[in-house]
Amino acid sequence: MTVNRRDLLKSAAAAGALSLAWPLASGLTPAQAREAAENLGAEYDRAPFTLGVASGDPQPHSVLLWTRLAPEPLAAEQKLPEVVEVDWVVAKDPGLRRVVARGTAPASATLGHSVHVPVGGLAPGRHYWYAFKALGRTSRVGRTKTAPRGRVSKVTFAAANCQAFHDGFYAAHRGIAREKVDFVVHLGDYIYEHGQVGGVPEKHVRDHDGPEILTLADYRKRHALYKGDKSLREAHAAHPWFLTWDDHEVVNDYSGTGGGAPFMRRRAAAYQAWFEHMPHRDSFGGSALPDPEIHRVRRWGDLLELSVLDLRSYRSAQNLPDGTILGAEQKAWLKKTVDRAPDTWHVWANSIMLSQLRGRPGGSYMFTDQWDGFLAERKEVLGHVHKSGLEDLVVITGDWHSAFVDDIRTDFDEPESPLVGTEFTAHSVTSGAYDANWNATNGPLMGKANPHLKYFEGNRYGYDVYEVTPERFSAHMRVIGDRRDPRSPVSTLTTFHVDRGKAGSYEDEGTKNSPAQYRRD
Amino acid sequence: MNLVVNGDAESGTGGTADPVTTVRGWKVAQGAPALIAYSLGGGYPTPTDPGPARRGSRFFAGGNSPRTTLVQDVSLPRSGPTGRRAVDAGKVRYTVTAWLGGYATQEDGARLSVEFRDAKGTPVALSVLGPVGAADRAGRTGLLERTAEAAVPPTARSARVLLVFTRSGGGTSNDGYADAVSLTLKPAGGR
Repeated sequence: MTVNRRDLLKSAAAAGALSLAWPLASGLTPAQAREAAENLGAEYDRAPFTLGVASGDPQPHSVLLWTRLAPEPLAAEQKLPEVVEVDWVVAKDPGLRRVVARGTAPASATLGHSVHVPVGGLAPGRHYWYAFKALGRTSRVGRTKTAPRGRVSKVTFAAANCQAFHDGFYAAHRGIAREKVDFVVHLGDYIYEHGQVGGVPEKHVRDHDGPEILTLADYRKRHALYKGDKSLREAHAAHPWFLTWDDHEVVNDYSGTGGGAPFMRRRAAAYQAWFEHMPHRDSFGGSALPDPEIHRVRRWGDLLELSVLDLRSYRSAQNLPDGTILGAEQKAWLKKTVDRAPDTWHVWANSIMLSQLRGRPGGSYMFTDQWDGFLAERKEVLGHVHKSGLEDLVVITGDWHSAFVDDIRTDFDEPESPLVGTEFTAHSVTSGAYDANWNATNGPLMGKANPHLKYFEGNRYGYDVYEVTPERFSAHMRVIGDRRDPRSPVSTLTTFHVDRGKAGSYEDEGTKNSPAQYRRD
Repeated sequence: MNLVVNGDAESGTGGTADPVTTVRGWKVAQGAPALIAYSLGGGYPTPTDPGPARRGSRFFAGGNSPRTTLVQDVSLPRSGPTGRRAVDAGKVRYTVTAWLGGYATQEDGARLSVEFRDAKGTPVALSVLGPVGAADRAGRTGLLERTAEAAVPPTARSARVLLVFTRSGGGTSNDGYADAVSLTLKPAGGR
């Protein structure tokens, strides 16, 4: 599309048409809302596969394929038969000629006409292409990759987080789609639950489709709205994803337990809609929908063990002496995973900051929604990591809308306590960070207050790419030039390395002079 | 025929507000439920409070845990008018019903869900009932009927029934209540 969206928004605003078109005015039919959205830059795939295709949870012989039939993506109910049979095919080539698996899966209205197909019998460590067919139409072709087995000399993967729709276009996902990565990890805040923010086009490039979301129909529409950014669909179609979530998939700062019946009803609606829109493999555990089981451990040959954590479903309230962010069962599982860990790189997909973060020297914790609100459990888990002798631990984190690099110590108040790993907190895809003045003032203050903090940069947006070999783990901070430009180019701001067998990170000599608001020399 | 075993809390140990560790037909996945007699009193639902017309003698409650979960896996019939052939031809519908409730103006609640699965365990359909809030009950202790009905998708082979009781805020007692849980199949017209 060649239209300059900002100009389009401006001219729509000048013509007084914006309030009717974008934000999507209430009173529009789903078809009108979609047309209005498309006139102002949203692009959906051809119906009924408007929301694209995706794959997830790659294993050596299996991967999960996803799509959802949504001829009118912004409609609460789709005008479709109650159950639609969807054909799927997996092949060794993009033209889908060398077919290795095919089948049919039912898309039920009760699950928003989504389909989740675990395809088995695949070969390890290779690319496959796939597509769906339903109602006489064929979806776009997606590409996926199975996990390798045995000896692996290199793995490359990306991590994305926090993609507020109104805060920018998904140039970061456009970048991820073009990266040569084996897989993508999404660290949460895939959608935001609040209502319209206004201020389009001067402050925001676009807006939510209505007020705060509460019901299953609301959450479905919100997911469909976010998938109206074609770069997000491109990134899903290009690589398999591992998924966790943070709070905004439901509501800001929620704890998964302890809420009253109206909240639990809302949580169930949000969780169901999340499942319906994600390439998530469920039902291998003891639970069932609408409580998907997210935490899992996956291997990439002998090189990488990925532990995906769920820091929302089972957490207690913050700041309790016996509070929990993991929940008893997941904590026991994580400790067992640590005990049984093979000699490899260990990566924890962790939605919200693990490292301690005080705002200024002697000050209090900045956010106790983070692990800082669960001190005893953090100490217990990191103490267990140390006691078990686990080495080569890298924690990848989202939520903060800014980039941090931290040393992970068993006791953050004791700078000499054992160093057990490194935490890389990635820039957000779009979600707004603090302003440049705040960052310039507070970067050095946070550096002084947190002896384990090595780096802070909050003026940019993007994602991380991790390149892992048996000898070294490298984190490349990819940043985009401008959130308002859907095709904004991607560059590498800086790179940090962790050497195998040696806890602690160091910045690449070649990018050490790149802009940052704090850097420990 | 109701495919849920002991959906009415009438079988096995219980009768008081004390939590039990096993429940006939169900796996206790989290916490510990209580199977309370309607005659117990003490503020719990009574035979005259809102609830099923034929309510038997007992109902499920959340016990003393903040979250109590009961799970029951149901195999769908292999043959007959609602058997596999009929399911795969799109000629079977399901109805899931439960009476769900809580205590006075408190927001403890119970949720009943049924997830239909194919032979590999992949979810192919889902219905979620409740939880019923205090406003739904007009602030009165009791249970209200909730129901959903939909097509059993082709390839469905089993159903996982999940009954979750949640306690809100502080206190000890988890006053989410449930009774008369049922899952039934019936032949439909087909595609």
